[in-house]
Amino acid sequence: MAEKAILFDATKCIACRACQVACKGWNELPGEETTNRGTYENPPDLSTTTWLKIKFAEVSSNGTLDWLFTRRACMHCTDAGCVKVCPTKALYHHELGFVAYDKNLCSGCGYCVEFCPFDVPRLAHSGTDDGVLNKMDKCVFCADRVTRGLEPACVKTCPTEALVFGDRSDMVAVAEARAAEVGGVVYGKDEVDGTHVIYVLDRAVDRELHGLPTDPEIPAITTAWQDYLQPAGYIIGGLVAVGLAANYVVARARMVKEKEGG
Amino acid sequence: MQHQVERFRARSRWLHWAIVLSAFALFVTGIFLYVPEWGVVAQDGWTRLFHRIAAVVFVAAPVLYFLTTPGRALSFIKTIFTWGKGDLEWAKAAPEYYFGGDESAMPPQPEMNTGQKLWSLVAFVSAVGFVITGFIMWFFKGDVSPGVFQAAIVIHDICLIVGGSMTLVHLYLGSVHPRMTESLQSMFSGEVSVEYAKSHYGKWYAEITGEEEAVEEAPSSEGEE
Repeated sequence: MAEKAILFDATKCIACRACQVACKGWNELPGEETTNRGTYENPPDLSTTTWLKIKFAEVSSNGTLDWLFTRRACMHCTDAGCVKVCPTKALYHHELGFVAYDKNLCSGCGYCVEFCPFDVPRLAHSGTDDGVLNKMDKCVFCADRVTRGLEPACVKTCPTEALVFGDRSDMVAVAEARAAEVGGVVYGKDEVDGTHVIYVLDRAVDRELHGLPTDPEIPAITTAWQDYLQPAGYIIGGLVAVGLAANYVVARARMVKEKEGG
Repeated sequence: MQHQVERFRARSRWLHWAIVLSAFALFVTGIFLYVPEWGVVAQDGWTRLFHRIAAVVFVAAPVLYFLTTPGRALSFIKTIFTWGKGDLEWAKAAPEYYFGGDESAMPPQPEMNTGQKLWSLVAFVSAVGFVITGFIMWFFKGDVSPGVFQAAIVIHDICLIVGGSMTLVHLYLGSVHPRMTESLQSMFSGEVSVEYAKSHYGKWYAEITGEEEAVEEAPSSEGEE
């Protein structure tokens, strides 16, 4: 099946935050009590019950003030740090390309929180299930909707079509066309082997100002850990065990022979 | 003439078995995060709780030993970091000796032979590695950079692979190898027979008894009584 992607066009976003509300509504996430911090941006951060939020940034450059809106949620990376490090493989790639997780399998180790280059997963007792353990939560790509041919709730509700949903290849094409049209840049096409949330950003501002890392990457040591070191452990342990068994057979036979021989 | 000689004092045996039990518990509760297919067992976090309880025992036992018996603890550490010509001679004779060859071809060994010294060194270094990286993972998650945290996880795994493999060797030699007939029981009773002490630790036996019959060349005779 063709991989799917969400397109977020920052040049069309008006920061109405209907996507935040729709996300909470569809996924039955409780609201958070917040305080007035002198900004429209609320809640202040992602949490186990806030999987999507619009980040506001006021940036002045060359005497002009830019008010930047960025969609903050799981990027659904192809080379996903969280999937790489998850020891119980609770996190995995869905065949549609996005990063799904089996919350039952989550052991609450928090490695995914440490190694996400986009600082997205959150670990806490969410209060939405009966368990006592802190477990990870993040955007689930509305898997229940997209696997039935529907768009995610945030896309469905977006009034300015800043959010669009479709086959990833189509979304990349739309993003590139739009970027050419407004003189912007595409983000997420190639970063971490391609994310499943594609951004169109205004070229005039740095992606870092949008809160997006310039060059997100999974460190080599992370890849080496589960892909090479752990298999090496099985081989080394196995060879030692086989060697010891061989030693027993040989040593015992020779000692018995020596004893019998006199 | 006595028929048994003391090889392990009570406190050393207690330390040994405290480490055995805690290390076994740490292994069993940790392996579920190493083998993804077994991760389902870790899902409710109980393995983490038991892992941490065992970790406290694993750290507290040697610390208590050190505080109550500093002399022997320091001398142990000094021994495992001291290597010399005798170790080379052991290495030359070891393959034949451990594969059931002529026992007398092995030079007389001190209280801790080279193989035991190697095992002790690997166990010591990997235990220190386990404790330091485990400490970071337990108490400093989120405070250290992802790079440091990742390094801690990787080093924890390397300690398991290296230390765990050597533990297999230790378990085998201590309780299964046909030549080490009194090794396991001595870790319970603390004693080995005179014959066993002479044949396996000739140099040590000569030191503690002052006898020289068991050794081919004269020992340094600096042994303490």
